Amino acid sequence: MMSGFDAAAGNFLVSALRSSTPLLWVLLGEIITQRVAIVNLGVEGQMLVGALSGFAATLATGNPWLGLAAGVAAGMLLSTVHAGLTVGLKANPFASGLAVWMLGFGLSAFYGVPMVGQKINGFAPLPLGFLSGVPVLGPLASQLTPTVVLALVASPLAGWWLYRTKTGLAWRAVGESLVSARTLGLKTSLVQVSGILAGGAFSGFGGAALSVDYTRNWVEGMTAGRGLVAVGLVIVARWNPFLAVPAALLFGGAEALTLRMQTSGVPISSHLLHTLPYLASLAVLVLSSRSANKEGGMPLGLSAVFSQSR
Amino acid sequence: MAIRAALSLLKRSTLLAAALGTAAAGAAEVKVGYIYVGPKSDYGYNYAMDQGRMWVEKNVPGVKTMSFENVPENAEVERVMERMIKSGCTIIFPTSYGYLDPALNVAKKYPKVIFEHAGGFKTAPNLGTFFAGIDDAMYLAGMTAGGMTKTHKLGFLAAHPIPQVLRNINAFTRGAQAVDPLATTTVIWTGTWSDPGKEAEAANSLVDAGADVLTGHVDSPITYTQAAEKRGVMVVGYHADASKFAPKGWLVGAAWNWGPMMGRIIKSVGDGTWKPEHIRGDLKAGDAELTAFGPSVPPKVKEMVLAKEKEFKAGAAQLWTGPIVKQDGAEAAPKGGMLAMASLESMDFLVKGVVGTVK
Repeated sequence: MMSGFDAAAGNFLVSALRSSTPLLWVLLGEIITQRVAIVNLGVEGQMLVGALSGFAATLATGNPWLGLAAGVAAGMLLSTVHAGLTVGLKANPFASGLAVWMLGFGLSAFYGVPMVGQKINGFAPLPLGFLSGVPVLGPLASQLTPTVVLALVASPLAGWWLYRTKTGLAWRAVGESLVSARTLGLKTSLVQVSGILAGGAFSGFGGAALSVDYTRNWVEGMTAGRGLVAVGLVIVARWNPFLAVPAALLFGGAEALTLRMQTSGVPISSHLLHTLPYLASLAVLVLSSRSANKEGGMPLGLSAVFSQSR
Repeated sequence: MAIRAALSLLKRSTLLAAALGTAAAGAAEVKVGYIYVGPKSDYGYNYAMDQGRMWVEKNVPGVKTMSFENVPENAEVERVMERMIKSGCTIIFPTSYGYLDPALNVAKKYPKVIFEHAGGFKTAPNLGTFFAGIDDAMYLAGMTAGGMTKTHKLGFLAAHPIPQVLRNINAFTRGAQAVDPLATTTVIWTGTWSDPGKEAEAANSLVDAGADVLTGHVDSPITYTQAAEKRGVMVVGYHADASKFAPKGWLVGAAWNWGPMMGRIIKSVGDGTWKPEHIRGDLKAGDAELTAFGPSVPPKVKEMVLAKEKEFKAGAAQLWTGPIVKQDGAEAAPKGGMLAMASLESMDFLVKGVVGTVK
């Protein structure tokens, strides 16, 4: 027998996972990009073109998997602009990121007009096999969609890639010190570009997860700042893909909690509740920066961008 | 140089005169401009306004329309209005709330052009306003929800606690309670007119809390309607018929019907009887309506709702008649008393049976 409380807790976990998923994808991408010492504020724009392309491709082909693939392609394509500006032309990454953000917003808004009000068929429920018969767990699992499950797999996979493969080693070496990486014979520009493009692929996927799977809808500017939140959460996740899930869950969970507290009839002002995700992230940031080592996991190559004291 | 400037000025004014001449020659055709704050295919507010435009084009002879969508509520909309006027529009419908002051600015510059703002409360010699109360339709939709709910729990996704939204929540709840006295409405404030991600999660939260009918007041009903269908619960629409997004769960919706009112306004401009006034319609006048019922609504519920609709239309029943009891038990209107128009337009409370806070 499961009590009402257990069911509510289970529902909350599913809900937190669902609302964290698009964020988690972008967060993973931004972690990888920052590991090659490039900050990318353009992920918001990359997410938007990913969301639009994913929705459009799903509408055109009827296949949400192709939609996700289109989202990845679009996110990567737009991230080439950031790569070209920051690595190719050595432009200021913040200015370049903002330009990519605006470009992504403008392009998706313009080309998205005919997509508004269209109906797509998202993913069919996951085949659960024996699980579907299990009380509580079955109904909960039935609410998990492919992008949620994939996100949970992608996080350790990205961590493994970063810490256990040659490419990952190259990314990390470049992120720590361009000069030493160069003396090791690494083509640092190529390594940085690959890190930015990998980030673009993840943020494009995150956008497509939002439009194709989570909402099944396209609306202008529908990412609503999730990309920028992910940039901030990189610090909470300490540039570590393995910590991306708890960091994203912290924010997405707090967002889900604000909505759930309203349905539970707790008489707290909704305006106040809407600040909760930001307060929670801020609290973890303060706590973690006090307890951890001084670098906080930040690639040394980034410190020139982030820390004034160094 | 001076001569060239003068010549160019002369040339331009002749062109202008010629343009005005053509406009005058084609006077039988009236050009009407429509401006929307969002996309006209959102199955929401903008969609409903554009349906009105299409009705006008089809049913009012000699009228051509043009429209702009996604126009922000700032100086941009003034430029759009001027562009419309330059391309021959003599009547303009700025349909978003934030267009009122920009419209007043442009109206001053072009006294011959008529402006009809949706929902505003200011006028000028060439600017009037129009809108309609949708409360009665929302009450009828609430009755349908009350007749269908098994859990007695209804969910309402709302953007911001402004009077218009509170009126809809209260009308919906009162309608539901008229059929099912145990019915309660749980409100979730999303804090934004449009964030599909948040709306999807809000809908899921309401379903998890036990609601088996969802409705809402955000820009577009698409996200929550689809989320409801996905979770296998019923849905009541707002703004327009969005039944195609929930073929199974769609019950009914409260929708706008702007066409006839827009047609009357355009005609009154044509025959010289137009005045800068606040035109307000309602269910009775046909400016708000109930959409078609979904397949799951049994005849018994339909008949009950349609009977009440008849009473509203005949003036035999008034929605805002007391007793109207607030959440805290205080009386907003005593038995037999009625809420005045002014207190409706500034409503700041939720009725008993609504779970949620105003602030």
